[in-house]
Amino acid sequence: MNGWLGLAVTAFALALAPAGLPPYAMTLLTEALILGLFAMSLDLMVGYTRLLSFGHAAAYGLGAYTAGNLLLHTSIPMVFAVLLAGLFSGIVAIGVAWVCTLASGVSFSMLTLAIAQLFYAVAFKWTPVTGASDGLAGIPRSPGPFGITFFTDKIGFYYLVLGCLCGAFIFCRSLVRSPFGAVLQGIRENEAKTRSLGFDTRHYKIAVVAISFALGGLAGALYAPFAGFTNTELLFWLFSGQVLIMVIVGGAGTLIGPIIGAAFFMLVSNLLSSWTDSWALFFGLIFICFVLFAPQGIWGLATRWFGRRRAPEVKGKRWRSLNWTG
Amino acid sequence: MDFLGFLVTECLNALSQAALLFFLGVGLTLIFGIMRIVNFAHGAFFMLGAYVGYTAVSVTGNFWVALIAAPLLVGGFGVAFELGILRQLYRRDHSAFLMVTFGLTLIMGEAIRLLWGVAALQVPAPKSLSGIVFILDEPFPIYRLFLICAGIVVAIGIWQFLERTRLGLLIRATAQNAEMVHALGTDVRLVRSAVFGIGCGLAGIGGVLAAPLVTASLGMAPNAVIDTFVIVIIGGMGSFAGSLIGALLVAFVQVFGTYYFPDLALALMYLVMLTVLVVRPGGLLGKEA
Amino acid sequence: MNTRTGFTRRTAIRAGLAAVAAPALLRYARGETPIKIGMPLALTGPAGEIGLQMRHGAEFWAKQVNTKGGLTGRQIELHVEDTAGDPATCVRKAQLVVERDNCHLLFGMVLSSEALAVVPKLADWNTIFMSSDNGDGRLTGSSFVPNFFRANISGPMETRAISLWLRKADFKKFYALGMDYAWGHNSIDVFSDEVKKAKKDLVGTVFSPIGTTDFSTYITKIRQSGADACFLVLQGDDNNAFLSQAHEYRLSDKVQLITSIVDLNSIRAVGDAAIGLAGSTRYVFTIDNPANKAFVAEWRKEYNALPDVFEGEQYQACQMLQAGIEKANSIDADKLRPALETAAIDSIKGHVAMRACDHQAVQGGYIVKVEKVAGAKLPVPQIIATLPGDEVTPACRQMTFDS
Repeated sequence: MNGWLGLAVTAFALALAPAGLPPYAMTLLTEALILGLFAMSLDLMVGYTRLLSFGHAAAYGLGAYTAGNLLLHTSIPMVFAVLLAGLFSGIVAIGVAWVCTLASGVSFSMLTLAIAQLFYAVAFKWTPVTGASDGLAGIPRSPGPFGITFFTDKIGFYYLVLGCLCGAFIFCRSLVRSPFGAVLQGIRENEAKTRSLGFDTRHYKIAVVAISFALGGLAGALYAPFAGFTNTELLFWLFSGQVLIMVIVGGAGTLIGPIIGAAFFMLVSNLLSSWTDSWALFFGLIFICFVLFAPQGIWGLATRWFGRRRAPEVKGKRWRSLNWTG
Repeated sequence: MDFLGFLVTECLNALSQAALLFFLGVGLTLIFGIMRIVNFAHGAFFMLGAYVGYTAVSVTGNFWVALIAAPLLVGGFGVAFELGILRQLYRRDHSAFLMVTFGLTLIMGEAIRLLWGVAALQVPAPKSLSGIVFILDEPFPIYRLFLICAGIVVAIGIWQFLERTRLGLLIRATAQNAEMVHALGTDVRLVRSAVFGIGCGLAGIGGVLAAPLVTASLGMAPNAVIDTFVIVIIGGMGSFAGSLIGALLVAFVQVFGTYYFPDLALALMYLVMLTVLVVRPGGLLGKEA
Repeated sequence: MNTRTGFTRRTAIRAGLAAVAAPALLRYARGETPIKIGMPLALTGPAGEIGLQMRHGAEFWAKQVNTKGGLTGRQIELHVEDTAGDPATCVRKAQLVVERDNCHLLFGMVLSSEALAVVPKLADWNTIFMSSDNGDGRLTGSSFVPNFFRANISGPMETRAISLWLRKADFKKFYALGMDYAWGHNSIDVFSDEVKKAKKDLVGTVFSPIGTTDFSTYITKIRQSGADACFLVLQGDDNNAFLSQAHEYRLSDKVQLITSIVDLNSIRAVGDAAIGLAGSTRYVFTIDNPANKAFVAEWRKEYNALPDVFEGEQYQACQMLQAGIEKANSIDADKLRPALETAAIDSIKGHVAMRACDHQAVQGGYIVKVEKVAGAKLPVPQIIATLPGDEVTPACRQMTFDS
């Protein structure tokens, strides 16, 4: 219950943020929350099912391009366009997952990478839909439904993002605590054993990839009207690598950790690059320090600091279990 | 240009590309075989090789000095990194290695930018290799023939090293069963350091050899790392012969694919990888799925 | 980082602290706040070379203006931010300099994809963006917005200059190789149109993905096509790799290489492989006019180097903005816009005039050929033709040319 109280307080503080923060801070915060949603969606795969995806940018890009096209070429209200785009990513993901789950371990990771890079190549060539290397620009925040314009301005959009994040978080949290989630964690700890218990693990894996892509797509779909543009960079492997780092820095398998990791990643890179051209140097050092001195990620550090009793042994096991080779 | 001339020229082009890819891939696959880690910084070591090569060439005026200095320095740096940081992480999971090597990539990229500047640098091929020969009336650069020879020599060298020498034996044994090797009284940690150094050194050689073709530039690392991943995955992670086959396959598909289907150039490599992995999830010569 | 003049955000803050001197205080008291210009630039990543050049150009100008007492009595303050060449980061950083630093003037944005992502937001931000290097024709065409101004030569203009020059040259068959990127497609579209008008042959076109390292297949294609000249739209690492490898295969023995942009950095990177290369250039230090001679001399004094393409182009863009601000005596977008629309300067590239209909600066095109010069370590681009601005610039909001 204590956890819920903390979360409620955090959500409340975030809800009040627009009252106290200057416009540029709101811009950063909104983008941080979008990336947080994206990282959290990956955590379902990485942290709970031990499916290390190297191609999660595909989800983000799919969502962003779908939402971009819906908003540019139809008059669907933004809120619906965003949800539809998320749904669409999830549906596409079923096909992606079907192919990728033919393999496991490193090969799974590389298949996700290959598919994401194919999406990237397609985005470069399918000019009428993706705008090729320019991407789609000038994506509007269409008002509605019923003429509601609340979400179209800066603050309103922030609340839309916050709402999506909170909703997705509650959904994921109940998901991982459900029997379905237990099977996922069974796959993480020992797939063979889970299978021998009579679960068709491949179906579960396809399901979790689809859910993860749908939420990742939702994040991408929010990004398109937030930034007003989409670009092939959103599908590039480097971005997949970055979001994986966000999850790990925050603390995989905790849901909340990756959100913090994403915010940390974005805000720190932003701060550092304003401060020095050599930001990459310090950024790299931060990662190495994390690995050496804070292996459980930011959330692991935080929980230890606040003295919550979350048996570290379990954590250690979870971390070791992230190994590809088991 | 008649068809035979075209075919021979393109095959030689593909072989020279395969040689460069092989230098990268074999290092990565050796490192994976022994240490079970994916070295994200492999492209950065490749780039470092090119820059060290640049300095060696401009100081001594001799390309051959560069070809010796770069692998030694880059390999040495790799060993230092292994001893200083990676060694503490072997009990940890892959994500730790992923993050450390990602961090190292950022650091090396920035360090190189600070040391050598942002502009691309010219590394000229040695005079003796910068001419052309005519093959079936088609001009072909001697330097590319040299690359092919270098690839063959190194491939045979590594193969013999793995088969004939004691360290090679230990490397193969460690790849099979590290605990057993350890139990038999060999310090596996030394084997790991050596392999990491050798892998990075090979990437360094690749960097020097590639530099006359692409100049030494900051874009080298990201371009290289993903190509390397692909060939190693296609061949099967940890398989020496696999990295050779992977490099050849990717190079030939890339060269001929780009010729006949230029619009697919960006996707070709990934299509090959996808096909291979769907048919054989562990890669062509890989063991595990 | 560069510390030569260092007019970055960091130093701007330091300078701000130092400005607690009395005269500055007086000026602030009279309401003469500095003119803040935001500059989101790719300083790291593959486009970092260009970003650095643009920063040098702007810093050089800012220093020049500030030592002469500022612009309309106000000091120039540059707020440089690194975008790493990523459009998403660029949008964020642009928004930052506007919202946080209160810059309502923008320079920078190295890549066209970055600029295309930012321009739709200019109206909301009430901000003027003076481009110094974005080549995409659409920025003054289908994607035109009133707060965007382009002081530089665009991609279609570069290509047009080359085409006009080629009409007189005796090449008959052409091949075109471009980066698979907006700028490449754009330029090659114009080129194929121009070749048709000149009643010559474009025997083949191919696009190479960004980040291509091996050009041997493309070189084979060019050789097989039997073209006597090849038009190139490549930049950065791709350009350097192509030129090095074309030299390897002795491609230029048979085919004249014509590139849409000649710059000193790539000449430095490929050395003698650049000899014989012909092409358009946006700016070159060998332009023969008094303004440029003075500029080059001062630049050498400041940086001990020759100004490169984007340094010259940035300087020209700065002067254009300066002319507008002096005329409007304001930096408010609504007052500055009309002033800029009729601004004209005698720049380092000769007479350059902004036009109101699409905010493209009308200016002449230069064709250069890279030659070995006795005494110089590196080959030098020599001007072989100058083309008048009214022939090089397309009709308003157009990307192709009628005649």
